[in-house]
Amino acid sequence: MRFKASIQNITTFTKFTASLNSLGPLAWVKLSDDQVCFTIIPEQGTQVWAVLSIDTIFETYTVQSAANNVINLEVPLTSLNRALKSALNATSAQIRLTKKDNLPLLALTIVTASNSNSHAAFPTNGGNNGDDGLRQTPLDGSLGGGNRETIVTQEVPVRVLAPDTVAGLHEPQCREPDVHIILPPLMQLKSISDRFTKLALAGTKAGAGSAASRTRLEMAANMHGCLRMSIRTDAMSISSVWTDLNNPELDPNQVAGGNIGIAEHPSTRMKLLGTADGRSEEGWATVRIDGRDWGKVMSVGRLGGRVIACFCHEHALILYVYLPSDNGEDESVLTYYVSSYSA
Amino acid sequence: MEDEEELPILTAVSSSARQLYQLLRCINFSDKAHVQISEEGLKFSVDDAATMEGSAFLDKSLFTTYTFRAPPSTRTSEPHDSDDEQEDEEDLSVTPTFQISLPSLLETLQIFGLTDPNNSKPPWARDNASSTAFSNNNVLGMNNLCRISYDKVGAPLSIIITEATIRTTCNLTTYEPDFADEIPFDRQSLAFKTIMRGSWLFDAISELASTGPDKLTLIARTLKGKPLFALSASGPLGSARVEFNNNPQPSSRGAPQGTNANEPPPDQPNLLETFQLSDPDSYVRSSYRFALVQKAARAMSVATKVSVRSDIQGVLSLQFMIEVEPGKVSFVDFRFVPLLEEDDGDEEGDETIKDPHHLPDLRPAGIVPKPPQLSISSKRSTV
Repeated sequence: MRFKASIQNITTFTKFTASLNSLGPLAWVKLSDDQVCFTIIPEQGTQVWAVLSIDTIFETYTVQSAANNVINLEVPLTSLNRALKSALNATSAQIRLTKKDNLPLLALTIVTASNSNSHAAFPTNGGNNGDDGLRQTPLDGSLGGGNRETIVTQEVPVRVLAPDTVAGLHEPQCREPDVHIILPPLMQLKSISDRFTKLALAGTKAGAGSAASRTRLEMAANMHGCLRMSIRTDAMSISSVWTDLNNPELDPNQVAGGNIGIAEHPSTRMKLLGTADGRSEEGWATVRIDGRDWGKVMSVGRLGGRVIACFCHEHALILYVYLPSDNGEDESVLTYYVSSYSA
Repeated sequence: MEDEEELPILTAVSSSARQLYQLLRCINFSDKAHVQISEEGLKFSVDDAATMEGSAFLDKSLFTTYTFRAPPSTRTSEPHDSDDEQEDEEDLSVTPTFQISLPSLLETLQIFGLTDPNNSKPPWARDNASSTAFSNNNVLGMNNLCRISYDKVGAPLSIIITEATIRTTCNLTTYEPDFADEIPFDRQSLAFKTIMRGSWLFDAISELASTGPDKLTLIARTLKGKPLFALSASGPLGSARVEFNNNPQPSSRGAPQGTNANEPPPDQPNLLETFQLSDPDSYVRSSYRFALVQKAARAMSVATKVSVRSDIQGVLSLQFMIEVEPGKVSFVDFRFVPLLEEDDGDEEGDETIKDPHHLPDLRPAGIVPKPPQLSISSKRSTV
């Protein structure tokens, strides 16, 4: 069982692990020849199924195993994210699966060139503070002019999962969505939804205790470019409506049944209802979600991808976050499954 | 929407939610605020256990459109018995009054703009790069267009804030008003009045707050023909005193003693713009709970001027003049009920025993224990 790769895009990988980490502490990472899958299945809340093309984050990539060159790992995201953070200024970083005292771990080797501080009496060794599973190996490049190379190896203990263990895990199945819409910038959405959550908590201050369960955001969208987010408490009800958003067209090649499938698609029916100014009460597909959980989902906004939200009325909200890729093909996509609370 | 046949009681449009936010934030110390709608504007008032109250008046000049239609007076006139208090409202019987959640209103008013991460970026770095000179509302000064409406008695107070392609509607539940009496302040029989800069009062209160005092004593008198206004605070850790003298000498700042003895040069600008005692020989002294006065700190920090008044019963009125934009002023008012003073039998303040939250253990300043090591005592004259 071998896995070795150099990390091409440390910033993206760091932001990616940070966003996943907000939803759950452990990720199931499936490494295979053509893609890397990260899956978070928390006990409660939103599931994430992310499929990354290899070159979204890795460069030279080798994976070998007895089971069709697939390796399944359970990775603690906090440690991985912390290790990656220390690599943000690195000139290069490598990750490989190894063993130490018979315990499997992901070793992250970070090479940093510190040529800035030639006047200092002592070389600065990256400034990493001692961490568990951290080994520092400072090497003096001694190429004159204070050009020094620092190599830091961060070790993240992992668990190797047998194929049988993960065989029972399946991506959630969902019916065809009623409304699909491209969301406004997630950071904007997040700043407003955070304020809504705060408002709801302020409104229920009197009846504390039940406050945590009360932060139910209602999200709705129609097929005319409108998105509505609202929250209701005893003291108030507030809703924000975005207009002029985009409802992407369905591709007949991707929908079961082709053109006939599109004609019978729920979203085609929803197109007949509602208006583009968002004032009509008709044509909305609505879900009720937990405000804090939503705030965590929104943290993926830092990756800056395009987000398509699919609303299954009163059932679920599915977010597809497309990561920008250089070559335009092999798009990486993060899929968030948010289930709706009943009214 | 549904009841088109009946015109709303209030429709007001403001081009800046931020101005409204700035004023209302000054009185943000209570969960519920009373709202009075009148021909002249909106009055928001809050109180704290009837020992202090604060009110902000949003004059109709703050709004670009302000339409008030008095509702048919189904109710009998409101049981306000203080006959001399209605400076803003001539006829209370047609003035709709209700309560709303003030924190919710404040959160709504700042939902955009203040926290929008886009605002701190230059236009080319913003997320909605599609905006052009004509589509971007900010260029036309129409950011945070805010519309307040109140359809009919019992209806929610709705705030609609529009920014670019986002429209936020907030319906605040309106509650029946508590008919708590206003703190009576007799402006016909003032004991003392002074006007000064708000920031000076703010500095004094922040300075005094460092000792964690329980009570604040206001002293006003004429000393050697010169006005003297002092604020002294005392608490378990000691006491401190800030004096405002007209024609102060800058060098005497922070001097431990003798601020009164120094003969000030006559060409200094007056610290106290106005200083009036009902009787030039009188000695005004009354005490208030420090924590309550501190709640007006935000108003002090943003006010251009403050008028400090106390009536013969010792009720303190602080009226802040706040400049929301150059040349446009608004007023925020606070009133405080004095603490009962036990030792000064001749004080006017003694007659007012209205304070239900009067602290019986608060001893007058003279016998507050001062631990020698911890005692902080300073005298200074603010420049």
